[in-house]
Amino acid sequence: MRGLFWWSGKWWPGVIPLVIFWAVAAWTSTEPLEADLAQRSTAALKDTILDKRRIAVAGRDVSLAADAFSEDGRQGAVASVEAVRGVRLVNDETRLVPEAKPFAWSAERDVLRVTLSGSSPLPASRNRLMEAARGSLGGVEVVDRMNLSRGAPPHFDNAALLLLDQVGKLKEGKITLSDTKVSLSGMARELGGREAIAAALKNLPGFSVAANEVKAPPYIFQAYKDPVAVTLTLTGNAPDSNAHAALVAAAGRKFFSEKVVDNLKESVGAPSGFANAVVPALGALSRLSTGTLVISDREVKLSGDALYEAAAGEIRAGLGKDFPQGWQFKPEISVKPAAAPVDATVCQQLFSDLLGKARIRFESGKADIVADSAGLLDRLIETALRCPTANIEISGHTDTDGDEAGNQGLSERRAQAVADYLVKAGLPANRFSAVGYGSTQPIAGNETDQGKAQNRRIDFVVK
Amino acid sequence: MAYLTTFYWGWLLASALLGFAMGWISVVQHGQGVSRKLRWALSALVATLIGAALARVVPGRFGYWLDLGLIMFALYLCFCAVGSWLRDRVVSRSAPPA
Repeated sequence: MRGLFWWSGKWWPGVIPLVIFWAVAAWTSTEPLEADLAQRSTAALKDTILDKRRIAVAGRDVSLAADAFSEDGRQGAVASVEAVRGVRLVNDETRLVPEAKPFAWSAERDVLRVTLSGSSPLPASRNRLMEAARGSLGGVEVVDRMNLSRGAPPHFDNAALLLLDQVGKLKEGKITLSDTKVSLSGMARELGGREAIAAALKNLPGFSVAANEVKAPPYIFQAYKDPVAVTLTLTGNAPDSNAHAALVAAAGRKFFSEKVVDNLKESVGAPSGFANAVVPALGALSRLSTGTLVISDREVKLSGDALYEAAAGEIRAGLGKDFPQGWQFKPEISVKPAAAPVDATVCQQLFSDLLGKARIRFESGKADIVADSAGLLDRLIETALRCPTANIEISGHTDTDGDEAGNQGLSERRAQAVADYLVKAGLPANRFSAVGYGSTQPIAGNETDQGKAQNRRIDFVVK
Repeated sequence: MAYLTTFYWGWLLASALLGFAMGWISVVQHGQGVSRKLRWALSALVATLIGAALARVVPGRFGYWLDLGLIMFALYLCFCAVGSWLRDRVVSRSAPPA
């Protein structure tokens, strides 16, 4: 042992080459070692969710800078790097991402782009939202102004994805999520968009709608009565196939001589009471010689020429009363210039022509004139005004159903109801006599329903 | 440690061989050894460096280089001892009995 101690005093010359070796070893091994440690530290953090992760290696010391989304995640990340073989020290420069209170997120759509802003809980959900936005908005530029924050309400991702779907239904507008409250504003892309959005919002998981101010484009319905082409053209929207069919059928009943051209589209989003407003409005249009009906949401505009002054007044004053609550009526009714007078023979011919095309209709078994006949009656009145000197017999007829006395009474009451209508319209009462003939003057066989229908009629006979 | 040696095992081997050679030579070398005072000073220096390395107070690359230097130096010393001992055995076996 003494020898070893003695010899060791002579070992120092070897230290000189040793130092050279050391210098070269340090020179050549440092960078590969650092690169390897950086790579394996990165691999160790593969499954840890971090934002803004930076790994810097100096020698065997790893500096880890990152934003973590929970304290456990933060500590886990540091522990993972510490566990990497060869790492001497970990300089912990991690921090928690700030907590957002309230946790607000929004998607705003304008003409050019969709901007996502506010807070997103994790990088993965941020990416998912961006992908979903690009997918569902089909080609629209999507701008990411989101930052990452803690404090998201549960099911945030599902809610935000559902709301992004709704952004696709907006032409422009903004959807904001603040904690568990959802606010929407803007204009729906299509009719029914507002309703579709409202329906989708019911599926929000654990969120409530604080404000839904999404507006829809106006719900338009138009009808144009063309006296030259003798057509009634319907354009715009009807709520569904049943309402569509009902509207076309009502138009067919009210416009007895015009051909109904149906260009209606079916679309949801109709204002409430739509059918209850459109049908009377069509009835008013049927009383005009030419006219246009435009319904935009709850506003009804009717313009055109009434056949005589009293009809114009009645339409102006009466139509609005038939509308459901909240509907507005804006009449622009003028009166068609009176046609030239004609003699009694022509007058009779005109009556016969009109009554050949359609019949005055009554409630079944009663003497109440149905509203659908208003257009025909206006034309009969206009004709009666053209032959002011002629006396006119209004004759009521029935089919053979029921007892003769009842039919006689009914035919008289119906003829009288028509005469009263004419008088109410301003014609002198002394020009008209109402006569009931019961079933004594059939014009067709009473064996068939068709024949009976022809026999149930009101005739105008110029005396 | 096993992992680290993959990066510089050649240099460790070189240190060991150098130590072995130096130990081998030192037995028969006729020269002045390190004085007792200097030996103490050097021992204190090495102990300080080992303390610094264990306490991990030297940061970054310098810390790594310190570790590397100390490991190489430790191997050097070990193999110096092995070389000297072996040479001593060889010399005493071949020397005529006193």
